[in-house]
Amino acid sequence: MSDTIIKTEGLTKDYGYGRGIFDINLEIKKGEVFGYVGTNGSGKTTTIRSMMGFIKPDGGQSSILGLDSWKKAPEIMKDVSYIPGEIAFPSLPTGTAFLKSQAEYLGVTDYTYMNHIIEMLQLDPTANLKRMSKGMKQKTAIVAALMGEKDILVLDEPTTGLDPLMRDSFLELIREEKAKGHTVFMSSHIFEEIEEVCDRVAMIKDGKIVDVANLYDLRHSKTKDYTITFNSSDEAAKFASNTQFSPTLEKDTCRVEFPTSDINEFLAILKGYSICSLHENKITLEDYFIKMYEKGAK
Amino acid sequence: METKVTKHFSGPLMKQNIRSNIVLILAITLVMLLMTNVMNYAMSIVGVGTSSEDITEYQTEFYTYLGAMAQYDELSGAELSYSDFVESDDKTAYETAFTMLNAEGDLSLSVDGFQASIDGLSQSSVSIDTYVQEFEYNYVLMQSEGYFTGDDLTIQGMMDVMFESMGIDSEMIDTMMSMDPSVMMNQMYYTVVGLLPMFLLLVFLANSLVVDQVDKGSMAYVLSTPTKRSAVAKTQMLFMIFVPLIIIAIVCVSKIISTQIFYDTVDVASLLALYVGMYILAEAVASICYLGSCIFNRSRSSMAFGGGLSVWFFLASLLGMFGSDMMVDMGMGVEEIGYFNNLTLVGLYDIDSLSTVGSGSVDYAFVWKLLILVGVAIVCYAVGAVRFKKRDLPL
Repeated sequence: MSDTIIKTEGLTKDYGYGRGIFDINLEIKKGEVFGYVGTNGSGKTTTIRSMMGFIKPDGGQSSILGLDSWKKAPEIMKDVSYIPGEIAFPSLPTGTAFLKSQAEYLGVTDYTYMNHIIEMLQLDPTANLKRMSKGMKQKTAIVAALMGEKDILVLDEPTTGLDPLMRDSFLELIREEKAKGHTVFMSSHIFEEIEEVCDRVAMIKDGKIVDVANLYDLRHSKTKDYTITFNSSDEAAKFASNTQFSPTLEKDTCRVEFPTSDINEFLAILKGYSICSLHENKITLEDYFIKMYEKGAK
Repeated sequence: METKVTKHFSGPLMKQNIRSNIVLILAITLVMLLMTNVMNYAMSIVGVGTSSEDITEYQTEFYTYLGAMAQYDELSGAELSYSDFVESDDKTAYETAFTMLNAEGDLSLSVDGFQASIDGLSQSSVSIDTYVQEFEYNYVLMQSEGYFTGDDLTIQGMMDVMFESMGIDSEMIDTMMSMDPSVMMNQMYYTVVGLLPMFLLLVFLANSLVVDQVDKGSMAYVLSTPTKRSAVAKTQMLFMIFVPLIIIAIVCVSKIISTQIFYDTVDVASLLALYVGMYILAEAVASICYLGSCIFNRSRSSMAFGGGLSVWFFLASLLGMFGSDMMVDMGMGVEEIGYFNNLTLVGLYDIDSLSTVGSGSVDYAFVWKLLILVGVAIVCYAVGAVRFKKRDLPL
């Protein structure tokens, strides 16, 4: 059995006027936490709706566990939990009533895990469902989705409305899921959280995948980028003229970029100079994303 | 944990439906119960005001006695009269008079018979003295004839001539005299006011069961569980089928009971037929609203479709009522406006023929009309469910 959990092949849904998604190819492996980033209206939700079998693709197909999303949706749902991007609950009186009804749909009879999530998110489910704040609603939706303890989680912007502390608790939950070997597909437009928990991330722009990045590669970049501030501009000039690293010189600071394998050599050379500070310029997902986006725009 | 896919019926969804709609359903049931029984009570009062056939029989008999007594008085110079008969304890004079008259003509008059006719006639809301006075006019007119024509004179003729000289068509007077307001109220109840709360409920329910949850997005919580779309469609359909059934059954039972109380007699068969017809009509409308709810993504579009059609059916039926024979006869309607009855599903709810069920001569015209309504319901429910299965849902 292959360990591909979610797969889309040439997935296309054309809403006309350039809206929709076009030729989306993704493959999510078992145990992966897969991030899906893109600006508003770039097609994240459309992709997720196709994966969940809520909409029928115009071309290509999406499958989960080898089952066609559109044709076998109910089968797939045995193993998939979903948090919709737009939170709207059925007209039930309280959060508890809603969670109970949801447990019935899912056939959940053991509430220990549910109570664990409720505790982690510090949710008070007895509140009136309609009067809940956005964050409360989001928490309720998270509990409703996670309580099934399914192998696959499909989350459409699951952290919207959560305060930073709650977001951390949520990311902790995602790490727990990962530790259990569950597969997570989550969309977001907040880079930090994707960067924090995801293994891989796909970027979508105007309905097309711009890039699929491995966050391990991003964290362990092949090139290093340092800014060195010298004690004097003379020292800086001396360094600039005597090195193979082709630095960009500006007064008393130099910026250098070199392959990670050269780091020892680089440090050995630096020994000969008097340095004020050394700063590594890390590439964040956001930088990377903006770079890819600009490239995609061309 | 091995979960099963819900294929046909979702219990949690049904529970959710009941919990979120129970208040509205109860309110509509109460409104319908109140309206049904108050109107029934009103009709029973109107019904008493008009004399029924039984009294006409007593009236004829009563006049026969009065006529016989008048003849006897003329011949023998006695002073027998209705007021004397009631007041005096001694009925021997009447006994002798009746025996004599019986012997003369081929009659069967008796004191008891006279008393019986008086008792019968006193059921009428018109006082007996009025009948006596009417007899006076009749009796006198019968003995004379027209001065110029030599024709017989009658009260009826006199009244016709009077109205004609005032410019009123005597035929209209006839229809107004014979008109039974309870028939009109009946028609109004079954085809107009009784349907309004039901239609409102159906439009609202159908909308909240499907399209509202799709539009808001809460349907995602159902469909992201192992529940087939067809299970959702079928569960909501069942809800749309059973809610009107229960409400109409309750209303029907209450109508049967209140009719028994107000009229002391009840024609269960025809009432049942009328309410079964009403239920089938309600289902036809329900299926149309359900179809709209399944087709559209936007709650508003579905409301415009289902609600718009229901309002149209209601208004057309209201207008159509003013084109019914009865309203035209009363001078309150125009025959041409009856065309509206052909433009509404309510027109297929034939209460005239339905109310003949249980009587000796059943008019089966309602059968094909109800079959059309059943057909509409089946088609709309089926198309709606299939569309819901195959449609993109913005969840």
